[in-house]
Amino acid sequence: MQKDHIRNFSIIAHIDHGKSTLADRLIEMTGTLSKREMEEQILDSMDLEKERGITIKDQAVQSIYRAKNGEDYMLNFIDTPGHVDFNYEVSRALAACEGALLVIDASQGIEAQTLANTYLALDNNLEIIPVINKIDLPSADPDKVRKEIEDVIGIDASEAVLCSAKTGEGVEEILEAIVERIPAPECDDNKPLKALVFDSKFDSYKGVLLYLRVYDGTIRKGMKIEMMATGATYEVTEVGVFKPTPVNVDVLTAGEVGFLAAAIKTVGEARVGDTVTDAAHPADEPLPGYRKATPMVFCGLYPVENTDYDNLRDALEKLHLNDAALLFEPETSTALGFGFRCGFLGLLHMDVIKERLEREYKLDLITTAPNVVYQIDKTSGDIELVDNPSAFPDPTVIATVSEPYVTATIIVPKDYVGAVMELSQEKRGEYQNMTYLDEDRVMIHYSLPLSEIIYDYFDRLKSCSRGYASLDYELSGYKPSDLVKVDILLNGDPVDALSAIVHRENAQVQGRRLVERLRSLIPRQQFSIPVQAAIGNKVIAREDVAALRKDVLAKCYGGDITRKRKLLEKQKAGKKRMKQVGTVELPQEAFMAILSMDKKK
Amino acid sequence: MQCELPVAKEATIYFGGGTPTVLSTEQIAKVVGSLKEYGWWNNPAEATIEANPGTVNDEKLKALRELGFDRISLGVQSLQDNELRALGRIHTAEQALYAIEEAKQADFRRINADLMSGIPCQTVESFRNTMNKILQMNLSHISAYSLILEEGTPLERMVREDKVQLPDEKGSYNMYEMTTDILAKAGLQRYEISNYAAPGEESLHNIVYWHYEPYAAFGAGACSFTGSERRTNTADVLQYIQGSANLSLSALKTESDLWQTESLDCKTQIGEAMIMGLRMSDGVNLQKIQQRFGIDILESYGKEIQTLLDRKMAECEGRTLRLTPYGMRYGNRAFEVFV
Repeated sequence: MQKDHIRNFSIIAHIDHGKSTLADRLIEMTGTLSKREMEEQILDSMDLEKERGITIKDQAVQSIYRAKNGEDYMLNFIDTPGHVDFNYEVSRALAACEGALLVIDASQGIEAQTLANTYLALDNNLEIIPVINKIDLPSADPDKVRKEIEDVIGIDASEAVLCSAKTGEGVEEILEAIVERIPAPECDDNKPLKALVFDSKFDSYKGVLLYLRVYDGTIRKGMKIEMMATGATYEVTEVGVFKPTPVNVDVLTAGEVGFLAAAIKTVGEARVGDTVTDAAHPADEPLPGYRKATPMVFCGLYPVENTDYDNLRDALEKLHLNDAALLFEPETSTALGFGFRCGFLGLLHMDVIKERLEREYKLDLITTAPNVVYQIDKTSGDIELVDNPSAFPDPTVIATVSEPYVTATIIVPKDYVGAVMELSQEKRGEYQNMTYLDEDRVMIHYSLPLSEIIYDYFDRLKSCSRGYASLDYELSGYKPSDLVKVDILLNGDPVDALSAIVHRENAQVQGRRLVERLRSLIPRQQFSIPVQAAIGNKVIAREDVAALRKDVLAKCYGGDITRKRKLLEKQKAGKKRMKQVGTVELPQEAFMAILSMDKKK
Repeated sequence: MQCELPVAKEATIYFGGGTPTVLSTEQIAKVVGSLKEYGWWNNPAEATIEANPGTVNDEKLKALRELGFDRISLGVQSLQDNELRALGRIHTAEQALYAIEEAKQADFRRINADLMSGIPCQTVESFRNTMNKILQMNLSHISAYSLILEEGTPLERMVREDKVQLPDEKGSYNMYEMTTDILAKAGLQRYEISNYAAPGEESLHNIVYWHYEPYAAFGAGACSFTGSERRTNTADVLQYIQGSANLSLSALKTESDLWQTESLDCKTQIGEAMIMGLRMSDGVNLQKIQQRFGIDILESYGKEIQTLLDRKMAECEGRTLRLTPYGMRYGNRAFEVFV
């Protein structure tokens, strides 16, 4: 393919604004897959992605489009995740493209997430084609959205393409716009090989597959490549493109997007962001890499059955093969036994990993409440980073505690501004500024502790705005905070896995709510269970889980036994998910009590 | 319908299902007659009929006695009119007492009364009053059930909608505790979680269930058991009648929409045998379990049983495992071990 007939692009869209449907339609229209082969939303291949309607891993699809001018163009579409947790994946994907479709729902308008990703694309000098989707909806208002794009993002929206991915209307115009407006890659087959690794995937037969964007040079099967960051060399065993299923090709030339396999054993050997070059004729310098994804949210993962510990480690190792952002290291809890402290990009990332462990690896897990990493300046002058509340040092050795803050961007209809401000204030937010996007919608910026965001800020933001608010945030740095550790005691014994770090001013209230919540979550047992919250040695709240006075089936004769047995089986199955801590059985929800304290009891 | 189940020749008889006495004496006689004809009723060690006070009179009771029933179980439930009304019963306290008296006069020497605690409108005092009254009747057997609200029942719905008030948890628990004390003083020993009898007056028929032995059954909704298979007849009376009229002998052994069969694997059988057996005060003879199923319970469930022993919920004496009164109180937690 001629270089000037290659187009590399990605799609930026808010969740639910129709990215996957549009991607499906593009693949269908270019004839890459026949209608019969089209599986609904083909790109979201993980079950979890389909269920949640989100994209977690990048995908890259090549298709050939015959444009109206009669010429064939190679379109490489690089799919991107749409959730704030996976922001770093978006930046990787964008770096491999020359253009992006900015898809906006014609009735919803711009959301916080879209805005953040559009800025990322502008930073990468991408040509942006605004696409106003869902114009078939009665509530669609393309003119308003067009104005919003111009006012808020500051790009020309006069040539925005109107479309309905659902009906197919406007999809051809999008393809034409891609051909006409997105620049062809500037590249040279004859220069030494330079290819950017923008993602990787572990395949148990072929080893690690590297997803590549070739900038200069060519890659062929059998050639020897070098990873510029590590210096490791490999022989290429396979080269191919996704259509969207993998298809082997002889060569990947400059400007193209595809994959290679080279019997690479672990994802760690070939890092995302690294540059692949020809070992025989290496390039002078690597391409600019990416910032490394840093986990911001930590939690403990413990098997319900201690004997599952090794299985859990194996499963985490396997997931890590595909997900370098997942951190884990062994830890021991007096209450929960042996498990792992795991680091995630955010709450969704955490949920996804947890669900995959449970579904794909059939593990019963107890997850402790997520927390952020605290920076502790000790009186001794040492600085300690604490990623586990139970490891919070004794107050006497602490000079100051700092916690991570984020800059949050909230877009919301103006009627809900008051509610959003009230919530943000309660969550220790510092107001920064507010801008009207149009006569109805407002963009508010707050500086908020990350810990409040990972608790229940987003859920409550959604409920206080009837679902209209959208949120995006980025880490802004550490700030000192007056934080204390609240311990929870059951039957008088502290349970390390239930400790929480809270702001001193809220400690009393939070402690009380926490024990109330725990009382309602802990199933009643044969004895009463005191639940106490304490700061140091001082008990600040107490509630008792009342003893169950009796628990027995009064009647059981011949015909009753089947039903009664099933009842007992159901009861027992419920308990299987519980963790025995001392003499008390704790359900998973108890460990997450701090996240659900504000919900109605 | 010849004997095909491994049921002993002198097998006990039980006419149950709540109120078989809604049938006329003639109808009952016809059922008894055909059971005799086919060898099911063959000098039984015990023949019980259930009855609701209000569905019997002295004439009927005498006839039942003459048919061969030697034991009667009366659904008294309570001896407080307001409580009976709240339960939707058709009889009054007076009718219940009178029915007992008539049964005695009809020469029923073995009489059981069903009582309930924890029912709407009941108080600890009213329950004590019911107990004292029933004890004056000098019965040899009492079944005393603690009400358990089950999801989906009309009563559960009424409670949820606040239309009836149940005694609070403490109150029902006190009634439960009181039952054992009061009945023990009157010489009725608890031999199963909810059953009390004078020595030698236990229900032989119900012990078959708790010993997990086979039994045959007839009638809509009835349930039979071979030791490894349970068969429950359709609860649809008309379907049952029409279906069984057309039934050939060979069809008895096959699947039919007249009943549902449940094949029990060995583990399920063992679990059920333990759950049923532990309901009895005498507990479970583990030697017999081993002979029957070839497993050593103390070995297979060692860890769980040790926990029960440690918590004083169970005790083990030789090869007998039984629940303590405390363990019976939390019976479900002990039964759970075996499901």
